[in-house]
Amino acid sequence: MLRTLMSGLFVMLALLMPNLASAVRDMADPADGWDSQFRIWAIISSVIYLVVTIPLVYFVVKYKRRTKDEEGAYIEGNVGLEILWTVIPLVIIVLLGTQSWALFNNYRKPPKDAFEAKVTASMYKYEMISPDGIRSVNELRVPAGHVKLNLTSSDVIHNFAIPAFRVREDMVPGRLTYLWFNAKTPGTYQVYCAEFCGSGHSQMLAKVIVMPKPDYEKWVRENQATQTAGLSPEETGKKLVDSLGCTGCHSVDGEAKLGPTLKGIVGRQVELADGKKLTSDDEYIKVKLKDPKATLVKGFDPMMQPTGMSDTDIAAVTAYLKTLK
Amino acid sequence: MSNEPKGFKSWLFTTDHKKIAIMYLFTALTFFVVGLLLAIVMRTEQLSQTHKIIIDAKLYNVAFTIHGAAMVLFWMIPIVLGFFANYLVPLMIGAHDVAFPRLNALSYWLYVGAGLIAVCALVLPGRLDIGWTGYPPYSIVGGANTAFYVFAVHLLGASSIASAVNFITTIITLRAPGMTWGRLNLTIWGLLGGFIIQLVGVPVLAAAVTLLLFDKYLGTSFYDSFKGGNPLLYEHLFWFYAHPAVYVVALPVFGVVSDIISTFSRKKIYGYTSMVIAIMSITVLGFETWVHHLYVAGTLNWTRVLFMWATILIGVPTGIKTFNWLATLHKGSIELSAPMLYALGFISLFTIGGVTGVANGLLAFDTHVHDSHWVVAHFHYVLALSMSMICLGGIYYWFPKFTGKMYNDGLAKFAFWLTLFGALIAFLPQFQMGIDGIPRRYWKVPVEYTTHMRIASIFSYIAILGFLLTIYNFIHSALKGAPAPANPWGSRSLEWQIPSPPPFYNFEEIPVITEGPYEYGKPK
Repeated sequence: MLRTLMSGLFVMLALLMPNLASAVRDMADPADGWDSQFRIWAIISSVIYLVVTIPLVYFVVKYKRRTKDEEGAYIEGNVGLEILWTVIPLVIIVLLGTQSWALFNNYRKPPKDAFEAKVTASMYKYEMISPDGIRSVNELRVPAGHVKLNLTSSDVIHNFAIPAFRVREDMVPGRLTYLWFNAKTPGTYQVYCAEFCGSGHSQMLAKVIVMPKPDYEKWVRENQATQTAGLSPEETGKKLVDSLGCTGCHSVDGEAKLGPTLKGIVGRQVELADGKKLTSDDEYIKVKLKDPKATLVKGFDPMMQPTGMSDTDIAAVTAYLKTLK
Repeated sequence: MSNEPKGFKSWLFTTDHKKIAIMYLFTALTFFVVGLLLAIVMRTEQLSQTHKIIIDAKLYNVAFTIHGAAMVLFWMIPIVLGFFANYLVPLMIGAHDVAFPRLNALSYWLYVGAGLIAVCALVLPGRLDIGWTGYPPYSIVGGANTAFYVFAVHLLGASSIASAVNFITTIITLRAPGMTWGRLNLTIWGLLGGFIIQLVGVPVLAAAVTLLLFDKYLGTSFYDSFKGGNPLLYEHLFWFYAHPAVYVVALPVFGVVSDIISTFSRKKIYGYTSMVIAIMSITVLGFETWVHHLYVAGTLNWTRVLFMWATILIGVPTGIKTFNWLATLHKGSIELSAPMLYALGFISLFTIGGVTGVANGLLAFDTHVHDSHWVVAHFHYVLALSMSMICLGGIYYWFPKFTGKMYNDGLAKFAFWLTLFGALIAFLPQFQMGIDGIPRRYWKVPVEYTTHMRIASIFSYIAILGFLLTIYNFIHSALKGAPAPANPWGSRSLEWQIPSPPPFYNFEEIPVITEGPYEYGKPK
């Protein structure tokens, strides 16, 4: 036992040495820090696993019962050995814990120069408001570099998880949480909701689009000036429907998703949850966008939130919906 | 002492701890099968990541809710604190029955009542789709009948508290003369730790779900942050019990492993005192770890750090136990019987569950894998592979005692290897998915992971087939098995010194105990 323990310890230390140095260096960027933490944990765990299973198999073979009445040796224990296998795990735990604690401190300390934006989750989408006041849904554009996101939710608990940056944090209704990451390389990164939030949980997907700084500034200028100028009401309406995440729950091709399809929605016969029947018209669409819970459609869960659109926007959306035959 | 009542009524109105234990066994195994069937349904749905196979997202959520509740609340905890505790405590400490036999019967029937509510939650409208954790606001604003959840927890809670009072009293007061604390089986120590956790923790859980009930149906706002409440309060109260609940199962199971290893190595448990200290320190430390379920929930930073240290410290007593088990095998006389296979399998699988658990406990590590498939793989290694399997191993070990029959050894070993092989591989792809950050409780995962999920599904079928064969073996052997001798294993433990099955009042006369249960090979 003692020999196995000691040789395990020796192998573990030899494998760990180069990684411990890099762990300290990698810590400045949590994503790199996470990867070196994983390597350290994997080395320690593999050695522990072998130190347990190799003697296990060896003893079972070596001390197989030979005669029916054979009994084992009478050994009560050994205080020295027992202290040894209390102290070694304790040292390993302290080592792992200290590294994780230091890394965690960096996870929770956003650099002062970080780009900051607010993201609000609702069933089943993410809406971001950039510092310049640009609203976007499920496509969150940020400039390359340090990014801090302030998170909240407007209905149930959601989560903002970006695996590429090794970070996630819950989005709690009525409370503000935060996370930060170092977006070194421009590109598109997947966002998941990692807190169970209802039947659309696995479809609650978004992207963080990291842009080089000049491109980002150009994008801001374009979108501030031309949000909807020069477009027809139908085009404006389509832009709103696509960008506000409506299509996450409502298809435009006739298939029922979490909500009824938008295809042919104007002029359609609608049966409400309380059994009433009515014909969908401009007024119905308006009520639906302003106070969705006032008219619940039979067969669907009441999960839509008020959109907060202006009357002009609602008129544009209605104009677009009329084109969906 | 031979006026033992017979027939159906004698079971319905029994206060005999052995009959209550058998009823617990039967009911818990039924829920185990329910949980396994739901696992089959979910794994089948995961064969495709692009379209529905048998159930939509909503029913999938119901399936994982009831699967979790059935496995943790209606199988794991009752099989350990219901079956093992009821059958073994009086036999191992040398008593005629438990301290309060009628309260004991009440505990069982409350558990059955809770189980019926759980079945309603699965089949009646307003099906429970809130996860076995039942987090608000979703459990309040969603369409589920949260009352099912609350009342099931209330009944189970009442049952657990009554059991805890009963068994703690029994262990303290009804030990036979000479049965000192140092001569108790480690199973008894583990059960004692488990019952203490139940007694302290369950009332908190009952309070937490009661407030949920008030919020949902009476218009209060304990958990509604828009009206001055706080949903994190629920998470804290829930996990204050629900994390130690794992140790409720783990501690007795550690005892079962110790007893099996000692018996089939014919060797005294190495470091008995340090084993007891380890069990009791986990009992206490287990209550300081719950915030690791809230690492990314928006709790204060310093609480996360504090609870990280307590969480990973649990690794130390767990390590002590593992090495003591290894040292017990050293210079033993080892027989690879079916229960022994389960015990050795437990050590090797629990080590994987343990080291991945330390990873979860590490704060920064968890910031990336929280609520991911990593966690799914980890807790299935701990609960499904290690603990469920050793519970089956424990049933095999005491099978000759409580049925008076021998089980089918070949089938037992075959089913063991089948389950081990299937389950060992089934969850490996999920570790990879977790490292990639893919969240759990997804009806459909990203299509890149179709192969991962298919491997998991196919091997989980194999594991489940093994489980079902094991249960078949129990039933078949209980009916048709060869008669068992009083002590087929040559064990020194007290329960094996009386006939199989034990007589109505266990002991003709309360025995006088002169040595502990593990004194093998003692020089004369």
